[in-house]
Amino acid sequence: MHVTVVSPVQAVFDGVADAVVAPAYDGLVGILPRHAAFLTLLGTGKLTLRQGATTTRLQVSGGFLQVVQGGDTVRIVADRVDQS
Amino acid sequence: MAKPRELRRRIKSVQSTRKITKTMELVATSKLKRAQDRVVATRPYAAALAEVIGDLYAPELAERFPLLRQPRVPGVGRVALVVITANRGLCGAFNANLIREARRRIEQLEGDGAAVDLHLIGKKGITYFKFAKRPVASQRTDVGDKPKPEHAAEVMDPLMTQFASGALDAVEVVFAQFKSAISTPPTTLRILPVAPPRAAAGGSGRQQAVNYILKPSAEAILEQLLPLYVRNQMYRALVETAAAFLGAQRTAMKNATDNAGDIIELLQRTYNRARQAQITQELAEIVGGAEALKG
Repeated sequence: MHVTVVSPVQAVFDGVADAVVAPAYDGLVGILPRHAAFLTLLGTGKLTLRQGATTTRLQVSGGFLQVVQGGDTVRIVADRVDQS
Repeated sequence: MAKPRELRRRIKSVQSTRKITKTMELVATSKLKRAQDRVVATRPYAAALAEVIGDLYAPELAERFPLLRQPRVPGVGRVALVVITANRGLCGAFNANLIREARRRIEQLEGDGAAVDLHLIGKKGITYFKFAKRPVASQRTDVGDKPKPEHAAEVMDPLMTQFASGALDAVEVVFAQFKSAISTPPTTLRILPVAPPRAAAGGSGRQQAVNYILKPSAEAILEQLLPLYVRNQMYRALVETAAAFLGAQRTAMKNATDNAGDIIELLQRTYNRARQAQITQELAEIVGGAEALKG
């Protein structure tokens, strides 16, 4: 599925991932392909994007995560994104 | 006719001016490129935020959220006007245009019977309003060429609190819109109350949002995202003004360099003519002297 991560300053990540683990406001959520349409607030924590054997980790805080209808596009719009 | 030595001195002076303006032009050009990239880089975030808020927004929610509260009587009340200018000059009419737009807006608002609080960002605006002896609610000069989201938050957060408590009825910002490096019209944008971004095409937003699993709830999400949207608008105004300033400075310095070139050409020609005239005169004197000795 296609994943984008954007912060107010720039688009941080734009690519493909097999799995996303994101820190929602009330705990971690895992997103796999074909997830139902979903919109949740983000808390503060580590965002993990897994693609095959490679993993990208980002520190995010605030904003929201959206799984667009169809479940093959995930948008993470965070108030703060730091490389970790 | 001016003395050749005088002319030489002026040529040298204009040449060094041209060297300075040329350098400033090059510096502004290279900074502009990066500032332009920053303007473009803010767009995905703003677009995504606007889309989701547009989807979640419903008119009946407007009364529940302080940030969406529309003024009861338009024009009356207290308005905070944030005026963004540059810290530096040598950029043509850039700052003057922003200040003119700000004055126009102030007159308009006060004509409608509103009280205006001025919040100034940038030295040039501060200097002007100090000269005009107008009381100012806040001022700062630390934003510079590379605005950060934190700057926008520092400016907007107190205003949002005041707006939510009812002490303010609107917040507007005067900034230079960055359409391109040569087109940077001064613009007034109303940030608060939030004008809900239009829902994405394909059904009124509410229906689209219904198909989503929303956590915790549409209201709670909206409550969290609205302040982000407001801060982001201020951040974009800062970033666009910073880029517009560099564009204006580059244009101004390019014109100055071209003008200096014209002046040098003119002076050089005058100098050559003066030099030639002097040589001709000396020759005539020598020939005249020789003739006198012969006779």
